[in-house]
Amino acid sequence: MSAVSVQAIVGAAPSPIEAPDVDYATISPLLIILGAAVLGVLVEAFVPRAYRFVTQIAVAVVGVVAAFVATVVVGAGLDTVDGEVTGRGGPTAMGSLSVDGPAVVTWAMLLFFGLLGVLLFAERRLDGGLSAFTSQASTPPGSADERHATRLRIEHSEVFPLAMFALGGMMFFASANDLLGMFVALEVLSLPLYLMCGLARRRRLLSQEAAMKYFLLGAFSSAFFLYGIAMVYGYAGSFGLAEISTAVSSQIGGQNLLLAGMALILVGLLFKVAAVPFHAWTPDVYQGAPTPVTAFMAAGTKAAAFVAMLRIFFVAFGGARWDWAPAVWAIAIITMLFGAIASIAQTDVKRMLAYSSIAHAGFLLVGMAGLTSGDGVTSVSAVLFYLVAYGAAAIGAFAVVTLVRDAGGETTHLGRWAGLGKESPVLAVAFTIFLLSFAGIPLTGGFISKWSVFAAAWDGGAWPLVVVGVVASALALFFYIRVVVLLFFAPPQGDGPTVAVPSPLTWSVVAITVAVTIVLGVLPGPLLDLVQQAGAFVR
Amino acid sequence: MTAVTVVFAAMGLVALVSAFLVVTSDQIIHAALWLVVTLGAVAGLYVLLAAELVAWVQVLIYMGSVVVLLLFALMLTRTPTGPGSATVTRNQPLATVVAGATTVALGAVMWAGFGGEVIDEDEVRVGTAARLGDAIFRTWVLPFEVLSVVLLAALVGAIVLTRRGER
Repeated sequence: MSAVSVQAIVGAAPSPIEAPDVDYATISPLLIILGAAVLGVLVEAFVPRAYRFVTQIAVAVVGVVAAFVATVVVGAGLDTVDGEVTGRGGPTAMGSLSVDGPAVVTWAMLLFFGLLGVLLFAERRLDGGLSAFTSQASTPPGSADERHATRLRIEHSEVFPLAMFALGGMMFFASANDLLGMFVALEVLSLPLYLMCGLARRRRLLSQEAAMKYFLLGAFSSAFFLYGIAMVYGYAGSFGLAEISTAVSSQIGGQNLLLAGMALILVGLLFKVAAVPFHAWTPDVYQGAPTPVTAFMAAGTKAAAFVAMLRIFFVAFGGARWDWAPAVWAIAIITMLFGAIASIAQTDVKRMLAYSSIAHAGFLLVGMAGLTSGDGVTSVSAVLFYLVAYGAAAIGAFAVVTLVRDAGGETTHLGRWAGLGKESPVLAVAFTIFLLSFAGIPLTGGFISKWSVFAAAWDGGAWPLVVVGVVASALALFFYIRVVVLLFFAPPQGDGPTVAVPSPLTWSVVAITVAVTIVLGVLPGPLLDLVQQAGAFVR
Repeated sequence: MTAVTVVFAAMGLVALVSAFLVVTSDQIIHAALWLVVTLGAVAGLYVLLAAELVAWVQVLIYMGSVVVLLLFALMLTRTPTGPGSATVTRNQPLATVVAGATTVALGAVMWAGFGGEVIDEDEVRVGTAARLGDAIFRTWVLPFEVLSVVLLAALVGAIVLTRRGER
């Protein structure tokens, strides 16, 4: 040790400990969700097995509802901030979180998705009184041990705390105000999802393969994200989005470092939102994961990652817009076209929905390329609206997938869905509504959301993107209509599909998502007002 | 060139050489033990950089627990530990390229970000426990607390994936 440091130690006077300045009321939704997760872990340890599953459902539902109420209270109390653009709220918890308008809207959205997800997780009437999750993940698929565990009706009720952890991570991700917090949040939301992907009761090898792929590629993309953060730190000398923004607009340091950092961060985030060419994991994971998990993941991850992406690129890298916008344009175009064209070739319902999810990532990127501020529909409000409409329809569509079954579990081959309209008209109509919303047909939420991202892009001068977007929508429409024709008019194969009778849990999910999809299409006003009032990001 | 610089260079050299031996050693136990030397030398570098708490944490956690954990894992899993136990795969050249590229890129980041920085030795702020605690439990308190959630989720996950029995 050098002489200097020894002297410094001796000379240092003890200073009183100052408590960090955290406004617990403002971050209460996040704390409630993480608290519910920890409570779930305790339930796992102390509640007898017979009551455990039900207790977990209760803890999760109460936690999500309480957090939703807290979010509404927090949202109502946000102060308006006047600057170049109007915003509401601001940084809290020592600057780690920015609880602003978009953050609160995203929290509410994620909690809504979380509630629907928990209801789907809780469904036990479809598979002989057992949940969609494997009895014991440690038993080899098809082994005597596995049958023994199933006979004992052992269940993995740990999925509820894991889902709460993921939900907490998503909420943190959407509101983190520095890159370090974002990385931590990314890990919190990803790790439980990797795990839950591998826990399917049926087709376990496929499920485990999906979990492995998701984990490896996810770890890889996290590394990209982290590396990008390191580069940006090297450029700006800070993790804070506000400090980076200042550094970007005053153009200190080497621009190459900034460009490389932005590119790597973009790669990490585009992986999470499943944009081409970082989409390869999506079909496999969506197909292999237990369908309730797929539903939760498709809606939640996309929402959290898109809001985080908008926050990073609008707040921190807003001054370098002309450096990143071309990349976003290019990726939006190939993602929309690839997603639309590839979904045409699919024969599996879950893979088809996965490719549709990829195409929707493209449409959302169109919104990102749009107007950042102004009187019209801004990028942030368009993307928020889109995420609500897409998430609701996606959860609904996957909920329908859980109900169409044969002896081996869910029957996801598209050919087997022929004649669903005769077997269960209600379910077929519900699925049709979701497909029409994905396609962007008027009177569904999908139409208004496509219109709003296209309007934002048009006002922002990104009209070529709008043209490609309309072409891709038309291509996708062709495919969705084909599926609708298959559901109602094609002759059924063999005995046709059977529709399991679910408990009120899944029914209510389908009913709620159908209602949201139609209400957003017919009466989009209230939500549009809400997302526009949410205003811009506040750093 | 001050004495500090000389010691710093020597420590760095020790770290580099022992790290090289970690990846080239023929026996897996030897590799693990060389890792102790590497981590110890890095701890020495931390001391020279006036990050004393980080140095002690490095000694306690990395040299102490992590390497012991590695050795335990080797002992408990019946992995061969004799000569030739650390045979490399055919991917070694590829790994070399990736590691080399990462080193160059990270070095470039450090150079570009902090290349011109000159640290005034009289102004050095020693990384005492008080300072570090101040940073972790004030500025970064929320990410720190949320990080513990990752660990908890990972623990739950590990139990989910491995637990047998009928509890």
